[in-house]
Amino acid sequence: MANYAEMQQIFDDIRSDFRYDHELNGCLNCGVCTATCPSAHFYDYSPREIVQLLWTENVEQIYDAMQEKIWACAQCMTCAARCPFKNSPGGLVAIMREVAIARGLQSAKDVLRPFGRVMLKLITTGNQLSPDMIQPDHFPDWGPNIQKVEGDLKVLRKAIPVKTLQTVDTAWEVSLKTSVEMYTIWEMTGVLKSLEMMDENLFDVIEDFIDEKKEDYEDWLEEQDED
Amino acid sequence: MQGDASDTVLVVGAGPAGLSAAASIAAAGFRPVVVEKEDVLGGAPILSGYAKLVPSGEWAKDAIGRMVARVEQDASTTVFKGTKVTGFEGEPGDFTATLSNGEHVKAGAAILATGFTHFDSINKPEWGFGTYEDVLTTTQMEQMVAGGKIFCPSDGRVPERVAILLCVGSRDRQIGREWCSKICCTVSTNLAMEIKELSPTTDVFIYYMDIRTFGLYEDKFYWKSQEEFKTKFVKARIAEVTTSGDGRLLVKGEDTLVKRPIVIPFDIVVHAIGMDPNEDNPEISKVFGVGLEKHGFIDRAEFYTSTCGTTRRGVFAAGSCYAPETIDDSISQGHAAAARAIAELHALARKKAG
Repeated sequence: MANYAEMQQIFDDIRSDFRYDHELNGCLNCGVCTATCPSAHFYDYSPREIVQLLWTENVEQIYDAMQEKIWACAQCMTCAARCPFKNSPGGLVAIMREVAIARGLQSAKDVLRPFGRVMLKLITTGNQLSPDMIQPDHFPDWGPNIQKVEGDLKVLRKAIPVKTLQTVDTAWEVSLKTSVEMYTIWEMTGVLKSLEMMDENLFDVIEDFIDEKKEDYEDWLEEQDED
Repeated sequence: MQGDASDTVLVVGAGPAGLSAAASIAAAGFRPVVVEKEDVLGGAPILSGYAKLVPSGEWAKDAIGRMVARVEQDASTTVFKGTKVTGFEGEPGDFTATLSNGEHVKAGAAILATGFTHFDSINKPEWGFGTYEDVLTTTQMEQMVAGGKIFCPSDGRVPERVAILLCVGSRDRQIGREWCSKICCTVSTNLAMEIKELSPTTDVFIYYMDIRTFGLYEDKFYWKSQEEFKTKFVKARIAEVTTSGDGRLLVKGEDTLVKRPIVIPFDIVVHAIGMDPNEDNPEISKVFGVGLEKHGFIDRAEFYTSTCGTTRRGVFAAGSCYAPETIDDSISQGHAAAARAIAELHALARKKAG
């Protein structure tokens, strides 16, 4: 539990973000954001509450909301599309999440831990999800459509007339050059730094992997020069 | 050529503001020339078939009807219906207007009483207007009240529950309408009472962001609608209107007490539509050489010493062409604009006489 000065500092981090004044103009308290919010239907989360807490500078409740509530947002931004004042509650949540990560809040680490596997898949393959991950039992929301991905996946995927999609352990094939470009983007935009703050072990694994890939790429470039 | 510039004032538009301006000009011994683009006089209250007016409670056709008769029966007043002004040249004391019927009118001054355009609810598709038969505008609901029977247009049943949504086309940056339309809160409370009066088994709910029943309308409309007519007020902006299997409308909002989204069934949903700038304002601005303010309404001159002025000398304005306005205040402004125009003609005459 943070003391008041720390909570004030966290709020200062949020409101000094360059996007803050653009995402928050005030609040008419009409509640259209919460009414339209898919997450509010399932979780103890109300975008109007987030906006009100920020607008009234309630640093204690802001800190409290950052422990769990802000992670319920699906970032669909319907709130921003509906707000008559053109606030972006979802955009404010994005800022709060970034501050929670930059400050290394334990709650953020706990919430994000289950996503480590997705992160690893993403960074090692350039894909979040691959066909061989789709187990019918895990996707009840697909309904009867799930039948379409049962059977011999390799054969099914061969039927797609795009060569980079004829894979099973990745959704599409990502070239070495593209991968290295993505690593560069993640480095320069601070994604890897955030990862290090949230999960040091996962960061080490991923960093080793990236170094290896970069070496492969350098080798490949040298081979091209020799030809 | 019609008129004499020294004693004629051109009045453009024959709604509440234009009709009152014309009446004052005539009463002061000057000659009004009224040009109305529609084929009937009376403006929005007559053209859109409003029911009982706020705050008098008189039927629109009676109240505005008297204003129309006063102008039509005046011998010194000339009225052009189904006619537009297509050109306006000259200077204060010596203007010449060209009309769409080919006639020319000489006038010393002009008053724009060109009014507004109702917001078109099609521009807020998530609220179901145009999709569901039982989603109506306040204008349509006024017509239903004037017809004397409250029913669902889809199948004629008596509605158990009616929702009125405020600020449709007002106070909404998403669709470029940043103004409050001023009248809809009071009109909606009035409408809620009229619905209850005609259909005692129907419950009316009003969904609001703020209630702006200004001045004496607080107790005469807002409080009365609750105390005597049991109108329910819910602070929530509706996210969307959909339909349930049994044909009722579903209204999705936030229960702001518990901060949870809720879905509530209704039989009729009414959009309290706002007031847009007249859709002809770009043309009016060009023809009369007057500026528009940032929302697209007619721009005011400095107000304190040039009341009812525009950005062009000798051209005055009144009513809802300036901004969303009530019928009563539009009428007052019409008289004020008439006084300004007459004073201008007097000043010019004195100057000419030396």
